[in-house]
Amino acid sequence: MVEKEVVVNSDAGIHARPAMMIVREAMKYPCDITLIKDNVEADGKSIMSVLGLAIIPGSRLVVRANGEGASELVDYIIKLIENDFRV
Amino acid sequence: MSKITVRQFIEGKGRIDLQMRLLAGEGGLDKEIRFGETNRPGLALAGFFDHFAFERIQIFGQGETAFLEQLTEEARLKVYEQFFSFDVLCCIFTHEYIPDSRFLDFADKRNVPVFLSKRTTTRLITLFVHIIDEMFSESVTLHATLVDVFGVGVLLTGKSGVGKSETALELIERGHRLVADDMVVVKKIDESLLIGTSSELLKHHLEIRGLGIINVKEIFGIRSIRNRKRIEIVTVLEEWDAAKEYDRLGLDEDKYTILDLDVPVITIPVRPGRNIPIIVETAALNQRLKKIGINAARELDERIKKWIFSKGGK
Repeated sequence: MVEKEVVVNSDAGIHARPAMMIVREAMKYPCDITLIKDNVEADGKSIMSVLGLAIIPGSRLVVRANGEGASELVDYIIKLIENDFRV
Repeated sequence: MSKITVRQFIEGKGRIDLQMRLLAGEGGLDKEIRFGETNRPGLALAGFFDHFAFERIQIFGQGETAFLEQLTEEARLKVYEQFFSFDVLCCIFTHEYIPDSRFLDFADKRNVPVFLSKRTTTRLITLFVHIIDEMFSESVTLHATLVDVFGVGVLLTGKSGVGKSETALELIERGHRLVADDMVVVKKIDESLLIGTSSELLKHHLEIRGLGIINVKEIFGIRSIRNRKRIEIVTVLEEWDAAKEYDRLGLDEDKYTILDLDVPVITIPVRPGRNIPIIVETAALNQRLKKIGINAARELDERIKKWIFSKGGK
């Protein structure tokens, strides 16, 4: 299991498009991926689930993955968030 | 559990409009409610402050207000002084009785929110029991979809991509109602009930691969949605695994545990050509039959055993 924490600094939080960027990448991996905010867990492969976390600027997020490609995926998502979703 | 403030409680998070008006003590609205109980302060007003449960919600009913009314101004002031020497959480006056200005001055000074309610005391307390129960209940967020199928709350679970939302869509199309897609907030009520709702943000929406996010309420209308539903059965959708044994009889009942409560679970293998929504519908109806004491598998088994016995078997 790989787990990393990140603070979302993007001004707009995570709305539909950023959520899709996370989910689209997650779908490429066979591992399970979970995003956790305030003890609420969301499936990183589900748009609705990620949107449901209501991630706003300043939210502290834990990214956790389990299985094949876990560490690669966690790193990618953390980088995506840190770079304000600019690929 | 996240903390609950007086403000959040009064706003009831949109569930029930308490129809209360703030009279004084606005500065105390963000105080935390630590105990989910109410108190009638009659004894305290009469001067007995031992065991005064000041950290609870104080409800002033007709009895309390009548008592205050018959006091002399001087005596009343003394009572107020004593009453507000405690860090009182908040006060609610029922029957639309507005306390005198001295009381409100004290409340403002001590940051004790005072509310006015049109309701009777009994009605208000009953209402509070429900709200408090729900607010202080344990809750968990599940990655699942919740649909009301023939009045049975069916929680659809399974890995992403297995077809939970598609199954929900077809169920909606067949006249059933969506509660939440992909994220269900489950609360345990009264140690016995599991109530599922959608997060306020995602309410009425469904994501279908290829279509994107759709608004179920707008497309299918008001009959296609409901806001909350008791979870009575869990279905696990999973890719068909030839090596795995699936239930062929339905004699044994498996359990799925949510917040320490057991819910019957059925595992449905998904394979092209299998009509999952119809299986879910049937599972819901079968669950209703079981609830009224009819177990098809067990009854068929009994019938066969009887027949074998009549033919000389044991």
